[in-house]
Amino acid sequence: MVRATDLPDYEREHLLGKNLPPLGPHCWTKHAKPLKEMRVALITTAGIHFQDDESFDFTDASFRPIPGEEDSSNLIMSHSSANFDRIGFVEDVNLVFPIDRFKELANVGTIGSLASVHYSFMGAGLMPEAYEQSTDQVAHLLKQDQIDAVFLTPV
Amino acid sequence: MTTGISLVRENAESMRPPRSLWVSFSLGRPLGVPNDAQFQHRVIAAALNLLERGRGPILEDYPVNAPEVSRETVPACPVSFPKTDNNSNWQSRLSGELSSLKPWYELGRRRRGGRTLACVSNLSIEENLRKLGEYLDLNRLPIDELHWFKQAIEDAKVFYLEAMTAQPGNHDQMQVNETLWRETQLGAGLFLFYEGFRAHPTLHPFARLILPRTAVGGTTG
Repeated sequence: MVRATDLPDYEREHLLGKNLPPLGPHCWTKHAKPLKEMRVALITTAGIHFQDDESFDFTDASFRPIPGEEDSSNLIMSHSSANFDRIGFVEDVNLVFPIDRFKELANVGTIGSLASVHYSFMGAGLMPEAYEQSTDQVAHLLKQDQIDAVFLTPV
Repeated sequence: MTTGISLVRENAESMRPPRSLWVSFSLGRPLGVPNDAQFQHRVIAAALNLLERGRGPILEDYPVNAPEVSRETVPACPVSFPKTDNNSNWQSRLSGELSSLKPWYELGRRRRGGRTLACVSNLSIEENLRKLGEYLDLNRLPIDELHWFKQAIEDAKVFYLEAMTAQPGNHDQMQVNETLWRETQLGAGLFLFYEGFRAHPTLHPFARLILPRTAVGGTTG
């Protein structure tokens, strides 16, 4: 979005209140293979899921798996925040969760392959530590799926 | 390894994730433009490019803004919200509004190939609006049904938005939301819920679920 300095006072204060120190010691994984050989997963904090899944609660550190082969046009959203646009996501899932774009990249060989399962969190109302158990679990699942790289989208 | 999009540059600056592409797009639109695959591909390519850098953390600015919506080409809101007798009860007011919205909601749903987000709750929109109206008529907060309340207001808000944007074209999201908060009975009812929760000694955090900061011109708690 526009830089916080260009926003009204109340909006700037709210967003800058979310500034946090780095999470743990500096980590850097150097790429070991070219992008065209990487297996990539998507993770979003947009609070999306399929209708049959349990919706996200007011604050909720759990996650929902999004199998790559399911029809992404059936994804819905139960994010708690009232402070972002939802009209765009109604029009196009890829605006938030670019699954079709990544399928296209896999088809033309820009990336090696796509994960079998992607993941959705709901980023609102909790500090990062609250997500530790869930993110550990997802990290384990990503390793099992032999993922090389994760593409993260906020909302 | 990770790469991704950042919508609030200052947050990414402070937290220093290994690789992040800051974009100037609105909250809720990390890929910039709906139904524009080429635009989205360019954003993704810029973020994936960070994976092949030698050292980090990297916070790179994406140089392109989302195209501005021209007021001259914005599709008009098709819904005429009826003038309502403010002496009538909330159930009637919301029910009357629903009748005006429903054909447009269905039209929008057909245009989007059957896609709708207004289905988080297990109850129908009619039932959710009836229950919301009942609480408003009783001047009570749904403190024993908070899970239902969250789902019901999310479904109601997005039902209205889908109806108001039923026609194809680039909608002005600010204008549509402004209409929802300022010109509808649902907006007026949500303001009452908002004020009720905001004044509640323990459930005041729930207020921020109801209205955005832009609707109240300040923090929502």
